[in-house]
Order: sequence, then structure tokens, then C-alpha cells
Amino acid sequence: MEDKTYLSIAYLGMIFGLAIWTWTVVSRSRNMERRIIAMEQSLDIKPDDADSVAVTNDHNEA
Amino acid sequence: MRVKANEAVLALGFLGLMITLYLAFNWAPSVNINAFQSPESQRIFYWHVPAAWAAFIAFAVLFVGSAMWFFKRSSLGWKLHIAGSEAGLACGLMAVWSGCVWGAAEWGTPWDWEDWRLNTFGLLTLLALFLVLGRQSQPDGVETRDTFSTFGLYGFILVPLTYVATRIWVIRHPGPVIAGDEDSSISGDMALVLMIGAISFTTLIVGHILTSMEITKFEQRLERLQKELDGE
Repeated sequence: MEDKTYLSIAYLGMIFGLAIWTWTVVSRSRNMERRIIAMEQSLDIKPDDADSVAVTNDHNEA
Repeated sequence: MRVKANEAVLALGFLGLMITLYLAFNWAPSVNINAFQSPESQRIFYWHVPAAWAAFIAFAVLFVGSAMWFFKRSSLGWKLHIAGSEAGLACGLMAVWSGCVWGAAEWGTPWDWEDWRLNTFGLLTLLALFLVLGRQSQPDGVETRDTFSTFGLYGFILVPLTYVATRIWVIRHPGPVIAGDEDSSISGDMALVLMIGAISFTTLIVGHILTSMEITKFEQRLERLQKELDGE
């Protein structure tokens, strides 16, 4: 196989891999946000970003 | 649809990578054909070095996040740990894969088990793989976070070891092209493409770290909602 063809295939594979990873992460983030907002609105709960594990641990140590 | 800041950063990083690829193929000068077995394959260097650079940034984020969680029980630290391990895995795989592609063309073998630099970097990537898969297979809790943070802290020792290996134990892998000795300098055009690649990869990895931290935040919100529904 010619050098440039070999290189192009390798580059395309890597770009494709990065694109899939980026798309998966962004779409997951968007889906989660949409669903969480819908749930919070239907349950009438205020958004809270508290980390329950860190909070629980703080309580235990106090 | 509203575009968030992290998504804009990701898009900017991707655009930079496309520009890097174009310049690497069409603008960067060719290397001396007598110095390499496969001179054109050398152009993968504009991807390989920035990917390794971004991986080191991600591993530094992993280390800082692990330390913040382990010593301060910081929620931000845990988010950084997760984001750093995921970004480190992705960039580590990019660097390893591109290195294997080049090695197969230049050396005739994709991997050299006797080269320290290759193996310490490979171990770092495996550590990131372990952290990503391990965390997903365990329930979230203080013990789980402590265990994975310990691995994140001790695993970071492989980063200076890899850096030193590029200078002391050079076997087959080429020596450093930046901040190396007098023979390691590269031409101005090559350095420019390399710099654009490094900035692009850094931008992309910052975007991924921000997005990953946001997903962790959503997971914590979801957990709280679950508890509300369960009446806890």
C-alpha cells in the first residue's frame, strides 16, 4: 500500500473514532439534561447539584 | 438549538484538528527520504505528538482530581477524576494507535516491548481504561471513590517516568522534538503545524473535560431525583 493511502486510512480512522466519542458524549449530556429537567418540573423539585456521596461523607466525618 | 460553551469549545477543537490534518498533508515539508523507511508516514507525527500532549494534560487533571477527592473529599475533585480518566483514555488510545500505525510502517512492527517509553505510556493508557471501566462497574460510594482515587494518585508516577524515558532510555522511539538536545530541533513550518495540532487537541480535551463534568453533575441530580421518588 502506498504511504499516503496508508496514512489517510489511519487518519480517517482516528478522526472517525474521535467524532463518534464526541458525538456520544454530547448527545448523552443533552438527553440527560432534557429528561432531568422534565422530571424535576413534573415532580416540582428545585434543581440541586449536590453530590450526595461527598455530602454524606461530610456528615459522617462531622 | 442552544449551543453551550463546552460544545462550542469541542467544535473549535475539532475544527482545529481538521486544519491540522489539512496542513499536515498539504503544507508541512517532507522529511529527508534517506532518513526514514517510510517518509510519508512521518506525517502522523502531527497527530501523535499532540495526542500524547493532550493525554498528559488529562492525566494531570486525573491526578489533581484524585488528590482533591482523597484529601479534601471534594465533589469537584471527583468530577475532575472522572473527566481526567475518560479524556486520558481517549487521548492515550489516539497516541498509542497512531504510534502503532507509524511503527508498523517505519519499524516493521507496531510495538517494541523493549522500549521503556512505549511501555510506560501503554501502562498509563491501561490505567485509564481500568479507571473508566472499573468505576462503571462499581456502585458509587466513598470506598469506591477512595480506591479509584488511590490508583489515580499512584498511577501518575508513570507520567514523569515516561518523560524521563524519552531522554534517558531512548531505544527505538525517536527522542523529544521540543525541549530536547541540539539535534532534536524541527523546522519552523513543522513546528507551526505541530503547535496548531497541540492547541487543537488541548481545546478538544478541555471541551471533553467540561462535558464529562457536566454529565457527572447530571448523574448526581438524577440520583437525587431517584431518592426523592423512593421517599428517602
